[in-house]
Amino acid sequence: MDTIDIFIRKLREELDDIEDQEFNPETSFRDIEDWSSMHVLILIAFIDTEYDIEVNAEEFSNLSTINDVYELINSKQ
Amino acid sequence: MDIFSLDKKKYLVTGASSGIGATICNAIVESKGKVIAFARRKELLKNMQQELGEDNFTFNVVDLLENDELNIALNDIPKIDGVIHAAGIVKPYPVKFIREKNISEIFKLNFEAPVIITSYLLKQKKVNQGGSIVFISSISSHFPYVGGAMYVSSKAALEAYSKSVALEAAPKKIRSNCIAPGLVKTEIFERTLKASSDEHMKAYEEKYPLGYGEPEDVAYSAIFLLSAASRWITGTCINMDGGLTLSSK
Repeated sequence: MDTIDIFIRKLREELDDIEDQEFNPETSFRDIEDWSSMHVLILIAFIDTEYDIEVNAEEFSNLSTINDVYELINSKQ
Repeated sequence: MDIFSLDKKKYLVTGASSGIGATICNAIVESKGKVIAFARRKELLKNMQQELGEDNFTFNVVDLLENDELNIALNDIPKIDGVIHAAGIVKPYPVKFIREKNISEIFKLNFEAPVIITSYLLKQKKVNQGGSIVFISSISSHFPYVGGAMYVSSKAALEAYSKSVALEAAPKKIRSNCIAPGLVKTEIFERTLKASSDEHMKAYEEKYPLGYGEPEDVAYSAIFLLSAASRWITGTCINMDGGLTLSSK
């Protein structure tokens, strides 16, 4: 599994349409301006293709920060 | 009116154990027709058989993705008066993440299975003259949504296939049509509801002038397309979306 820094760097590349936003483990993605359902889909697909882990939308609805997502991936590996 | 009756007629229904498929089974029996159900979940099928009666509802536990199982199940069925293809899968994938496995995951169930079933039934002459084939498509095949590239493409392919079937089966007076519903309140809908906020779903419902659909709304159109009342209708698609696509907003 990648370190959280590498995870955040890869995620940042995928969400490159979100500008002027710093990503750190405590960033709450729902508070990001311009956050939309498209970004949720990208995040879920990114986890699937990069880490071969399936997260469904229901599981995702319980997460709030980038660290929560990272921990979920860790727990499923 | 008798012309809407399905009396003494037999229909194959796929995806019969839940959602739109299950509701169509109920409607066929209400219209005096008989159902041969294909689905994976035996318990649900058994419960439906208890409710609808063994004479009206028989079933095959079959996974449409397993070719051997499907062939055995298809060989097993008697001559029928039509098919409802209701089995399907919805899985969102943003365009830039689509890989080969995502294409086949969606297309195998939404497109390949109904094609294989229909072509087999016609080759084996298992569909009676005057029969009717109905594919459950989606309004999104004409009006796509974010993340739905594979799903909407599979439904668009299905609609094109249905038109080809309509052309080639017309000499036998067998008809082929699609129903393309908007968002209908099924189990999948309830799961989506849980995963998103109430606010979001309420805001989205406002786009539907007549509100979200009920499975019965789709079933009634299916009964019409199966019955002789639609005998001059083939190669078409009934869009039903509660007015969703009326407005350009």
